[in-house]
Amino acid sequence: MGAYLASIWDCRYFWLSLVKMDLRNRYRGSVLGIGWSLLHPIATTLVICAVYYKIVKADVREFVPFLMAGLACWTYLVGVTLQGCQCFIQAESYIRQHSLPLAVYPLRTALGASVHLLLALVVVVLLSWGLRGLDNVLALLSLVPAVLLLTLFGWSVGVLAGFANTIFRDTHHLLEIGFQLLFYLSAVIYPKELLYENNAGWLVDYNPLVAFMNLIREPVLAGRLPSAWDLGFAGSVVLVVSLLAGFVLHRWQKHLIHYL
Amino acid sequence: MARIILDHVYLTFRVRQQYQITLKEYLVRRMYRQSVNPLREVRALSDVCCDLRPGDRLGILGANGAGKSTLLKLLAGIYQPTSGRRTVVGRISSLFELGLGFEMEASGRQNILYRGYLQGETPRSIRAKMDEIAEFSELGDFLDTPVRYYSAGMLVRLAFSIATAIEPEILLVDEVLSAGDLAFQQKARQRMQDMMARAQIIVVVSHDLESLQRLCDRGLWLDHGRMMAEGPMADVVEAYTDHVHAQQLQVA
Repeated sequence: MGAYLASIWDCRYFWLSLVKMDLRNRYRGSVLGIGWSLLHPIATTLVICAVYYKIVKADVREFVPFLMAGLACWTYLVGVTLQGCQCFIQAESYIRQHSLPLAVYPLRTALGASVHLLLALVVVVLLSWGLRGLDNVLALLSLVPAVLLLTLFGWSVGVLAGFANTIFRDTHHLLEIGFQLLFYLSAVIYPKELLYENNAGWLVDYNPLVAFMNLIREPVLAGRLPSAWDLGFAGSVVLVVSLLAGFVLHRWQKHLIHYL
Repeated sequence: MARIILDHVYLTFRVRQQYQITLKEYLVRRMYRQSVNPLREVRALSDVCCDLRPGDRLGILGANGAGKSTLLKLLAGIYQPTSGRRTVVGRISSLFELGLGFEMEASGRQNILYRGYLQGETPRSIRAKMDEIAEFSELGDFLDTPVRYYSAGMLVRLAFSIATAIEPEILLVDEVLSAGDLAFQQKARQRMQDMMARAQIIVVVSHDLESLQRLCDRGLWLDHGRMMAEGPMADVVEAYTDHVHAQQLQVA
């Protein structure tokens, strides 16, 4: 395990350069450049907010930061999983030429997605501050371990999704449908209290994606640290998924090239 | 000190008749305990043994599909043996599939960085070699252009220039002796010889028997993944050419 991590560190210049290139390529030739990463969550939030304001008369000053915080986290989780599906296929030419540890390719995906998550969080914090003020600035420090936890989760999920999709090419499409379903079950665009009122609170209580969103929402919206339940739940999920990813790498790393 | 040991190495590919198994096929197979897309085992390498020490220059020869490139990839760690043991001590530098692994939207200079890092270079070491690589590739101002505008020959020249700018301990070479146009080939040949002089162990795969005899002192002849002969290069080449001539006479 230690030797494997050391070998990943040894080729850090390679995967860091790929992350940088991915970010550069994403906005190559665009007028706004990385500004699209800031504009995209704002535009999505405004559209959803406009609808909600008409239908449920939600308080925009409360609802906009709530929605943006949830969407930032959700977009990261979906993005890192779906892009993770392609991580080994995309890196086929490297895998066929060099025997680098395979974990560097999902790491490239996770780090790229984490940069976008950080940008989105900057927008969330600034908008919250502008619209409703920040109750406790110090609580925002908990966003740092939250982002690290999400990055580790994204890396591990990327390993699993990458292996699954390389072997079963339908995985990507199945996950897309699964995420569509989960989107409406995970209280991304509505308060979780709505589910409690309809005796469906368990949908959010035992949903790890909600725990991840709470790691972002609690410090920004409520000005407090995430609850012990959310932290413990999210941490346990990351631990389990990381161990699973480690097992898959250990067991199947040498066989993956035969599926490419 | 560099060393390569292959101890009774076998490599079996499990391939499907169709390109990929789909989830539907997987579920159907499970349900009916049969397959519409069965796995087929292909024995790529059988009982291959060798022990290479510093100073050894091994040439691998054989017909198309004999397993030469597969053996080279196994030595590079890209394929793992199905059974047997592969032990490699030393930093491996491989020169094969040179046209692969380019980031097409990035410029030639940026690709020098990526491929340099892939070969274990650091930002400082690769920047120190940047001018030399640029000069050897003879790509001039094209180096600042995205490589998707390059011709196949230009890509190979760039790849060769990067790959041969390193200090190898173990050098694995697969048919790159004919990189680029005629003028570049002569330069490349000289560069390869310089590089080979610096490497501790060299393994070369080629159909060009003359080059193999010039570059290597030991030979290994593969046929359908099996070792047919191993020993001094001249003896192995003679055994191989005799075999080919005998086959040609049989056909005639």
